[in-house]
Amino acid sequence: MAANLLAKNLQEEIRTGQVGVHLVSCSEHHIFQPGYLHVAFKNQEPSQIVRDENTLLRREVHRINENAERLDLRGQAVTLTSGERLNYDHLIVATGSAPNPSAIPGLAEAALNFHTSPEESRKIWDTIEQFDGGHVVVGIAGVPHKCPPSPNEATFMVDDYFRNRGIREKVKITFVTPYPRAYPAEPISKVVEPRFRKRGIEVVTFFNVESVNSSKREIYSLEGESLSYDLLIMVPPHRGADVVVKSGIDDADGWIPTDKYTMRIQGYENAYAIGDATNIPVSKTGVTAHLEAIVASNNIISSVRKRKAVYKYNGRINCPFEMGDGRASFVVGSYDMPVKEIQPSRMRYAMKKAFGRFYWRTLSGNWDWLLEAYFGKTYRVETSQ
Amino acid sequence: MGTPETAVKPTIIVDSRGTMCPGPITDLFRAYRNSNIGDVIELLATDPAAKSDTQAWAKRSGNEILAIIDEKDHVRIQVRVVKKGR
Repeated sequence: MAANLLAKNLQEEIRTGQVGVHLVSCSEHHIFQPGYLHVAFKNQEPSQIVRDENTLLRREVHRINENAERLDLRGQAVTLTSGERLNYDHLIVATGSAPNPSAIPGLAEAALNFHTSPEESRKIWDTIEQFDGGHVVVGIAGVPHKCPPSPNEATFMVDDYFRNRGIREKVKITFVTPYPRAYPAEPISKVVEPRFRKRGIEVVTFFNVESVNSSKREIYSLEGESLSYDLLIMVPPHRGADVVVKSGIDDADGWIPTDKYTMRIQGYENAYAIGDATNIPVSKTGVTAHLEAIVASNNIISSVRKRKAVYKYNGRINCPFEMGDGRASFVVGSYDMPVKEIQPSRMRYAMKKAFGRFYWRTLSGNWDWLLEAYFGKTYRVETSQ
Repeated sequence: MGTPETAVKPTIIVDSRGTMCPGPITDLFRAYRNSNIGDVIELLATDPAAKSDTQAWAKRSGNEILAIIDEKDHVRIQVRVVKKGR
């Protein structure tokens, strides 16, 4: 996305050989990660949420089919896995976050999850299809994790699934969370909790998972509590990318210290971080990554063209949130605007579905005018001294 | 429990100033996960929910709030870890 934006807006400079946009990634596939939930709980074909990376890149982008081994921000170079050193004038780091089930003893063996891959998500569908009754525990095994609504969404979908199968009375559903309420932000929790109650979903709060014993089918919390289960579906804690940690550019938790407005890596004028890789205080979601990419790429374009404009992200988040029964809400906020209560509706569900179909087109960088029409301004422009 | 105001020297300082809910409580949980019994975690926060969330967590988990100090532009919350795990 960031590479496409740069390529789209620097076409003249690329054509005349002044600029090259290089994407360092050996990933063959691009995955629409919000689709994991539908693979896991609605039997969507995994192949429907995966596209060939090459088909999504603009032709002006030069893809280097290797991963980065080390990022040398002082030396302005990226060392590739082959050992080749690639010098740069401007860098955007978009290395994301990685689910880390092994951080919690027993979790990887005991729990299914819908955050690691389409295949892992598919295992959930295969399992719930065979499940005829018992205690299903869904929740958050550790923080931070990407897509904050997804644990709640999964719980609504599990409930929908067993209702539709006509065996809901044979299934007890419990949602576990380390937070004080069903959703961390209180206004959203006020929407979620009554719906959980109405559906007979129990909520266990302040449960920071310490370990899981798969033979006893029990999970234990740091707070000293335990819970038994028959089927365990947990969002693992996430960590920063290995290359970030190996390069020594992370904070103590594996995230890149980043200016939350300009998206510059702290201490560097020409290196940026976007998406899950950063430590900025917004949700780790695809929408925020997209909006941050717009800011970082605009700042690079401004620098390439020796302009004084500095783009500053306003922290806008906009997370679609399925609440079952064909209804959805959104989690909307920014640095200066706390999230507000938004009631779920069928219209918002239709908007979420429409965005899922539209997603692939947004990666081209050609549709930002439409996103801007929907979101309004998600950045401001200032003049540097 | 009232609102104690006498601070002690913290073992771990968690600076969550500038983050909104659930930033402070998330940072506190990460520190708690890495702490030992007897450690004092000091949470610095600007989010108004940090006080009540931390108090509720301490009450539920059996950990001890040592001090809640309102500074000019943030709050300092000190928690002594007295219970962790089974």
